[in-house]
Amino acid sequence: MIGASISRWTMSYFAMAVAWLFVALALMVAGVGFPAADLAAPDTLVLVHVICIGWLSLAMCGALFQFVPVLVARPLFSEKWALPALALLTAGLASLLAGFLALGGRLPAWLWLLPLGAVLLTAGFGLIVVDLGLTAWLRPVGPARFVLVGLASLCATVAFGAVFAFALAGWAGSVGQLILAGGVPLHAIAGLGGWLTLTAMGVSYRLLSMFMLSPDVDDRKSGTTLMAGALAIAVTVVGGVLAIGLFAGLNVVLSIVAVLGLATAALYGRDLFAIFRARKRRQLELNTRMATLSFASLAGTALLGAALVVTGNFAAHVGAFAFLAVFGWLSGLVLAKLYKIVAFLTWLETYGPVMGRAPTPRVQDLVAERRASKWFMIYYAAVWTGTLMLLIGLPSGFRAAAMAMTAGVIGIVREVIRTRQLADVASPLRLPGGARAPHLLFARN
Amino acid sequence: MTEYIDVDVRPILRAGGEPFSVIMATLERLELGQGLRLYATFKPVPLFAVMADRGFTHSERALDGGEWEVLFTPAEAAKQTAAPATTPSFENWPEPAVKLDNRDLDPPEPMVRILAAAEKLGPGETLSALLRREPVFLFPQLEKRGYRWLGGFTPDGATYELTVRAPS
Repeated sequence: MIGASISRWTMSYFAMAVAWLFVALALMVAGVGFPAADLAAPDTLVLVHVICIGWLSLAMCGALFQFVPVLVARPLFSEKWALPALALLTAGLASLLAGFLALGGRLPAWLWLLPLGAVLLTAGFGLIVVDLGLTAWLRPVGPARFVLVGLASLCATVAFGAVFAFALAGWAGSVGQLILAGGVPLHAIAGLGGWLTLTAMGVSYRLLSMFMLSPDVDDRKSGTTLMAGALAIAVTVVGGVLAIGLFAGLNVVLSIVAVLGLATAALYGRDLFAIFRARKRRQLELNTRMATLSFASLAGTALLGAALVVTGNFAAHVGAFAFLAVFGWLSGLVLAKLYKIVAFLTWLETYGPVMGRAPTPRVQDLVAERRASKWFMIYYAAVWTGTLMLLIGLPSGFRAAAMAMTAGVIGIVREVIRTRQLADVASPLRLPGGARAPHLLFARN
Repeated sequence: MTEYIDVDVRPILRAGGEPFSVIMATLERLELGQGLRLYATFKPVPLFAVMADRGFTHSERALDGGEWEVLFTPAEAAKQTAAPATTPSFENWPEPAVKLDNRDLDPPEPMVRILAAAEKLGPGETLSALLRREPVFLFPQLEKRGYRWLGGFTPDGATYELTVRAPS
């Protein structure tokens, strides 16, 4: 078949991702992990992996199962793998988290849980990388190239993580211990910078130009941006491992990566300006307006990082830096796009079969933007406040900000569920003859 | 230049087997722009319509001993290299009864309008539409409703030209 159908399990991934986001918010409100605990403390490892694997990676994978077939106009290599992959990732994450709790003495010392979690996560991500990679490879141009580099970065991230897990259980020998001692920044940069950031950038190019009626960014321009980003990740992984192997410090490698990372963010900013300038649609939808706050957060993250390095405070405030990147840039963008993607897919699933045969609502009729926008504003304001609280070292203020973030996310998720339930569509149009209401957690494709 | 993947179903046919699933499996593995070169012990006329629905045009050549070689070419590639009117499988399509310019509509309005117009076509009639993007979500809807279509980007890549034909 030529074309793209509705991804069956994207909603299931989104639902699981949102569930983990609430776990992360609950931990932050309760003061578990950073900033109450040290950045390297087991409790912080629990928090970080709930956010990065449970929330961000699952949401990203769910979006890619739908998005990559659209990019290449071909069906997914295998839709059957999506649900087993979700099960493996969920079980793997649970095992990994239990392992961290064991490491911190909150559970008996069952350190074998860590390698078990790593094996399950490797299997789950492996299925996804092969599935999405083989699909994206059909037309490796434009945003699909970002996805491919993102998937390669995911492989590197998972490889580092697996070595750490085995090393923490004492099963990885002296080489494993060496990599564990020095490799944590490399794992974090490959995951947040390579997998999550480069993939999010690639997806955003297409979504923004699609929703704003703007021509696609020239492949050479976005190619330069990708090249800078890919080089940053390559230097991180290859240079980092070499530096560890040679017992040299990581400072030189990380400095090069920082410069390349700044260049990537600047080039991405240039591309975004081009998309916004060339747009035919003047009135922006909520998801695009909220995405701009996420881009502002990315710019803020870059500036904050540069300022901290120049003043020699980066090591002391790396937590605030990462927090802004994860919640301002990545989570903000994911929430904004989730809001739009769920509305569009729900509309297509419900009304596609009867379109042209009966009157159907517009996509915009499925959402109530005015109501949703206040929850997004609360969310972003809380994230920026939280960053500030971390910078000035006020943990109680941070927990208050986390509470406000939770309120914002509850509001946004409630809106998304209402969209999925067609709750805001007026009655005669809601279910015209032949249309079926969608299931909340999966699509009938 | 279209690249063709060879499928020789002659041994299956000689053994009295059913080659359709093998052909379809190969089709699923084709990369974008690739075509299919089929060898069969008879002229596979029923397959032509199936392949046209999947966006492939065909040209056949008789081999010795009553066997046939058929080239299935993706319609997009055929359209970009040759004028659509000369593409064999589509030459009997009538002039469009409806012409839509959906280039400046907010997504997904182009799809909505094409489906609405398609539903009003008489049997065998066609409509044409200009779009900014390849309408990937439209194709499954057209397929489910039994419509055939032919589409491709103009050489500058700025406009996607789509022709849809109602089932006759």
